[in-house]
Amino acid sequence: MKNAIKIIASLFLLFAFSATVTMAQKWSAPASAKKKQNPYEASTKNISSGKKIYNINCKSCHGDATMGNMLPLQPVAPSDLGSQAFLMQTDGEIYYKVNKGNGAMPTFEKTLSDEDKWMVITYLRSFDQNKKASKKIAEVINPEVSDVRILLDINKEDKRIIANLSGLTKKGDRVALQGIELSVKVKRNFGYLDISGDDAYTNEKGEVSVQFPKDLPADREGHVNLLVKVTDDAYYGEVIVDRIASLGIPTNPVNPLDERAMWGTRANAPIWIILSYVGGVICIWGVIFLVLFQLIQLPKLAKNKE
Amino acid sequence: MKEETSNNSRRKFLKSVGITVSAAGVVSGFSLLGAAKAAAQEPGETVNLLTQDGQLVQVDKNQLRPTVTGPLTELQKRGREGIAGKSFVMVIDLSKCRNARKCMVACQNHHQLRPDQHHINVLQMQDAEHTAPYFMPKPCQHCDNPPCTKVCPVDATFKRQDGIVLIDNERCIGCRFCIAACPYSARIFQWTEPKDAEKYKNLTYNIEANVPQKKGTVSKCLFSADRLRENKLPSCVSSCPNGVYYFGDQNEDAVTNGTTHETVRFSKLIEENAGYTLMPELGTKPRVYYLPPKNRAFKFNGDLLNEENLH
Repeated sequence: MKNAIKIIASLFLLFAFSATVTMAQKWSAPASAKKKQNPYEASTKNISSGKKIYNINCKSCHGDATMGNMLPLQPVAPSDLGSQAFLMQTDGEIYYKVNKGNGAMPTFEKTLSDEDKWMVITYLRSFDQNKKASKKIAEVINPEVSDVRILLDINKEDKRIIANLSGLTKKGDRVALQGIELSVKVKRNFGYLDISGDDAYTNEKGEVSVQFPKDLPADREGHVNLLVKVTDDAYYGEVIVDRIASLGIPTNPVNPLDERAMWGTRANAPIWIILSYVGGVICIWGVIFLVLFQLIQLPKLAKNKE
Repeated sequence: MKEETSNNSRRKFLKSVGITVSAAGVVSGFSLLGAAKAAAQEPGETVNLLTQDGQLVQVDKNQLRPTVTGPLTELQKRGREGIAGKSFVMVIDLSKCRNARKCMVACQNHHQLRPDQHHINVLQMQDAEHTAPYFMPKPCQHCDNPPCTKVCPVDATFKRQDGIVLIDNERCIGCRFCIAACPYSARIFQWTEPKDAEKYKNLTYNIEANVPQKKGTVSKCLFSADRLRENKLPSCVSSCPNGVYYFGDQNEDAVTNGTTHETVRFSKLIEENAGYTLMPELGTKPRVYYLPPKNRAFKFNGDLLNEENLH
């Protein structure tokens, strides 16, 4: 009897589970949406900007593409967007789903621009093993290098940061690496402010020149923590250089408690309030004591008259 | 004759005063330094003590002194001073809010509040008959000219140097003047025994989180001041699934989104999106800025009975 109940219960669970799974798979786009084509080419530039947008908007739930480290949500976990099962869909189908959202998946119709969405799709498509044609087309072919380094040259006068990316070839020559995107960031309290702009790709000299914002506040001495890295770790692993530079505007933090104000506590009350309050108390008690004193004096005065 | 009696009475009075004062002195002396004094009478004797880093040491009893400050006052001192050089601001993007209410849940977990108590509340708004309804999260505005601290008769609620308005539940007498003074209805009163009071009764009071909550006192949003000390974003900001909140330091002119962790310029964000503050006509100078609910990601037709609107 007990076994029968167990079997029935497990069958029921199995059924419920498979039901949710099929529900998840049922989400399909209309035929017209499937036909939509990605107007952007699968260039290195587009793929890396797609990766940026992916990391900001999708990664928190879906995890890294192909890594399978998505949030374990119930009843349906977000799918791995780099998996081949997902990339079976057409570009138009993915575009439709990103726009509409479904259940826990929010809509990105208004929150992402069309270009951004296509960039993300371009990025995801770069994981597709069946579509050889749309695989990364490297715009510039760099020689195979090791010991990749970023050298920073900071011009304090016009606040320019010039980063030079180079690597060591097998022959032992240091060569510039071209067409690689760099991120130039400034450390802030809760994260890094990206100041690299739209076009931070290294030129034929391996250089990226970034204008530091002229109005960005820094600490008392004007020091900021700069961090320059190769945006995409897939090329050469993590290549990071950080530097403290005095590029920002020196700012003295204002302490609101330095000023006496009505909203301050007792110790910070305005002088005129303290004076008028203490004055008032002294006056009122003074009058009371004067009256009491006179009352005590009354019998004495009466005696003196007698 | 008359003189004598008056002299007598004065002497008696002085005598009694003297006795009381000396008795009080003796009593307080014993209670304050009782241990140390008793130890001082037996020189050369040592005691075993465990230091903070876990070493057992022997100390001469004569060297023992009672501690003057406990952990509570240390936390309160730190909490009153605030974090130097910071000026915290929050930006709430109304176009992204879809009433997920994850901020409220995270806040209630952090500050040990019941589901019906709100440090932050998501309101359903409709400004006029023909305007579009929208959702509006509303925490304490942490005003730069706070009306609440002006009316506190016991210095329990105060503003710190980093701009955060806090309340000390150990000082609060529960008069609720601050609740009456706040134009944003940001404060709540603990009418009954707080949630999990039994569970947390031995916890040291933390002024930067208002925990454990105290019955008969006022509680309010604190921008998660205890998390800010560890450079973490406030609970509500980091729990939002829709990228509604930005939080940061105005001195650095940067705010970070709690969902995407993207850092942007505070001044640009406000300027480009026509950011505003609530009830600016009152001159309270709020530290919470709102971005208008334009181009909303999630539609809300104002009909709360419709389940589609309750995400």
